[in-house]
Amino acid sequence: MIDTLLSGQLLFSALVTGSLYALVALGLNLVYGTMRMLNVAHGDLVMLGAYGAFWAFSLAGVSPLLAAPLVAAAGAAVGIGLYRGLFRGMLAKVTPSTAGKLEGNSLLLFFGLSILMQNIVALAFTPNNRAYAYLGEVYRIGNVSMTANRLLVLCVAGGVCVAVALFLSRHVAGLAMRAVIERREAASIVGVDVDRVQRLSFAVGFGTAALAGVLMSMLEQFSPFSGFPFTIAGFIVIILGGLGNVTGGLLAALLLGVIETYGVALTSANLRSVLLYGSFVVALLVFPNGLLARRLVTR
Amino acid sequence: MKLMATRRRSVVASIAAAALAWGSGLAYAQADKPLRIGFSMARTGMLANATPSQLNTYELWREQVNARGGMDVGGTKRKVEFVIYDDQSKPEQAVRIYEKLITDDKVDLLLAPWGTPFHIAIAPVLEKYKFPVVGNTAASVALRQVKPGYIWFTTSAIPDRIGTELTAMLKQQNVKSVAVLSNVLPFTKEIKNFVEPELKKAGIDIKVSTEYPPDIKDMTAALTQVKQANVDAVLALAYPGDSVLYAKQAKELGLNNPFQFVAIGPSDAFFPKAVGAASADGVVTIAHWSPRPEWKGSQAFYDSYVKKFGEDPDYLNSALAWMSLEILETAVAKNGLDKEKIRATIASDTFETINGKVKFEGVQNVVTPTAFVQYQKGKLQIVWPASIATGKFEPKKGW
Repeated sequence: MIDTLLSGQLLFSALVTGSLYALVALGLNLVYGTMRMLNVAHGDLVMLGAYGAFWAFSLAGVSPLLAAPLVAAAGAAVGIGLYRGLFRGMLAKVTPSTAGKLEGNSLLLFFGLSILMQNIVALAFTPNNRAYAYLGEVYRIGNVSMTANRLLVLCVAGGVCVAVALFLSRHVAGLAMRAVIERREAASIVGVDVDRVQRLSFAVGFGTAALAGVLMSMLEQFSPFSGFPFTIAGFIVIILGGLGNVTGGLLAALLLGVIETYGVALTSANLRSVLLYGSFVVALLVFPNGLLARRLVTR
Repeated sequence: MKLMATRRRSVVASIAAAALAWGSGLAYAQADKPLRIGFSMARTGMLANATPSQLNTYELWREQVNARGGMDVGGTKRKVEFVIYDDQSKPEQAVRIYEKLITDDKVDLLLAPWGTPFHIAIAPVLEKYKFPVVGNTAASVALRQVKPGYIWFTTSAIPDRIGTELTAMLKQQNVKSVAVLSNVLPFTKEIKNFVEPELKKAGIDIKVSTEYPPDIKDMTAALTQVKQANVDAVLALAYPGDSVLYAKQAKELGLNNPFQFVAIGPSDAFFPKAVGAASADGVVTIAHWSPRPEWKGSQAFYDSYVKKFGEDPDYLNSALAWMSLEILETAVAKNGLDKEKIRATIASDTFETINGKVKFEGVQNVVTPTAFVQYQKGKLQIVWPASIATGKFEPKKGW
């Protein structure tokens, strides 16, 4: 048992799971952080991304690796379109007194979008399970065996998450985004173009969700109804990490991966949900503003 | 102005089209009324991804029946029309739908919904209205508790029989030790509960026995344990979703146990596509059908399914659905639409199907043997029992 825990095989699994959760939660967090909108359709965007990669691969023979940037770009375009067509008007009318109402309305709106997407995809593509085999060869490094596609998921998801985190801390547009996340009113007073930041959040949020879908499709099978568990995982991560706190979210996602893999190894797979939601509830009780909240406040 | 003209023209056109459609419908109704056959199917919800292989089979059947002039109803041929409702993956919804199909839509015949809980749920409705239905995609020992009368279960893949037959097969392959991984959903849990005592009775050592939830995303921990146990056989009592996860991670960890049994999933065409043909080869799974010259129509069914849908039928669910249609067709040809006579025929006759002879005693098919199939060079072959085998078991050589 001890050698299983120390073998590195579990660590690899925890990192793969964690990095995918991190990528899913990232987009959810940006959209919530900048606009206080709860996108419960986020997992369905992941599902759409998976279909994008699947069709590109099985109809046109396009490698998912090549399809990934295209699908992500398409996701971003959808995000911008939705923002322009639906949410910009809604957001423009928001005053501090109606902000709470927006949160509720966005929840309902995205819930409706989620149901629409699932059923349109089910009608258009049938509810069949879809999956394809890509990069299935296994590599061994030391005593850890890694399937190429899982290694790829770890690298791409991890890389994109780090890139976005760097963008938020270094690039001027990223700093503007963080300003809107932390002090929305103040940001607009000092001249941050809030509209542009919001559009960018939608683009990055939807784009990363679609990218997560492409990556997920290499690992597991999916159907029009596969998105919801990702929405749930995303919400656990961003609440653990602190709503709107992107770095906290990344760490929380890795923590979730670790809990899921090592917790299951130490106890029983049947306790997976108990462990996930249990740690979530404990974290909420002990750190109601997220795991990293205090550090950010004191800075 | 131009826009107006176009619009006016299209309005005229659509009125004409509607009138034509109405007229032709009227003529059709006078000539002979189509036979309306109703059923519910999970088109949305958690189970929707499991139902296409059954629905496809129904559609294929309707197309073929109508192409040969219609279904034989006691000597007269009538075209078949389906009345389909989505039960949203909820058995209680299926109950309402079957009641509506019988009392409101007044359909002529009924087909079965997908899955065990749905079959069990609608049984009392069928009993109440004395409406016979030949079941197909349901398998559980709980089915035997359903009151015999208006529903019959076609499959022989009942968990207690799987327990004894699988143990017998393992024994024959000289398996000394096994690892059992089981999804906690009802069907696989039931198999586990029946197979483990049988294994113990046969003196086969169960070195690993573990359960997991249906939403599992990673099996590394359990499979590392299986690898270390170094057993002769792995019984992965999986559902379609986790069957793929199991195969992919077994490959990653290099599980080289020569007997790999994966309960549900591999009989469906998506499995080899999802894990790769080489990984699928050698996997043993539950099904009791395969195209076989002795079973009339089995090759024709396979060929026409592949032609229409571009993939293999599900060797379990599609075959079961087709068998149920064949049985209904025979009973209706003999009795017309008299429900009582149809019931009596189904309950007592022996039927020829693509899976050989079928005869019901109570609710159960007592002829078809419980069987297992194995992927060999991309095709599923029946490898157990010997009486209907189309191939010999081959040890799995890696993934």
